Amino acid sequence: MKKTSIRWPLAVTLLGCALFAAGGIGRMAFDLELPAYVLLAAGCALFGGGLGDVLRRLALRSDPQLAKEVAIEEGDERNVSIANAAKAKAFDAMLLVYPPLLLVLALAGVEILPLLLVAAAYLFTVGVSIYWQARYRREG
Amino acid sequence: MKNRLEALRKARGIRQEELAAALEVSRQTIGSLENGRYNPSILLAFKIARYFGLAIEDIFIYEEGTS
Repeated sequence: MKKTSIRWPLAVTLLGCALFAAGGIGRMAFDLELPAYVLLAAGCALFGGGLGDVLRRLALRSDPQLAKEVAIEEGDERNVSIANAAKAKAFDAMLLVYPPLLLVLALAGVEILPLLLVAAAYLFTVGVSIYWQARYRREG
Repeated sequence: MKNRLEALRKARGIRQEELAAALEVSRQTIGSLENGRYNPSILLAFKIARYFGLAIEDIFIYEEGTS
């Protein structure tokens, strides 16, 4: 049964608010740029994701029949298989898109820090893929 | 993979929605199984066989060269 406690999603939402506020303060009061933008973006992502999860869990908590239907749809093996196949295709597309994007940005004279940020995001995504491949091979 | 799922379901007067609820899968999965567009996992195949009280081979027809 899916968890219905809103404690962790609420914590994530509040963390997102804090990061957003920190980014705003950093930008306006201390005239920071890249670090403040990173905090703002991370705050937005955490706030949006957390709040969405909170609202979802509250809706499912109030309607057990709906919760059961959602659980069946989300756990349905065909739906999971389709979602995983689509994610794999998207990952393959990302591997094709990111390197030329980095090159274009570098040639366009974008500052080194944003370039490194994009490169770090690319390497992080590839690293996540390698980690889970290794883990699944070990387990199965 | 061919199967007799639709015939068995209709013979017992069960709707796709009812079978899906009993097997805890979506109705779309039942539809895809019946028209051969989707092959079930071994776990789901066992669940289906147990539901109908039959062996897996009595429901799903494996032919050489088919996936």
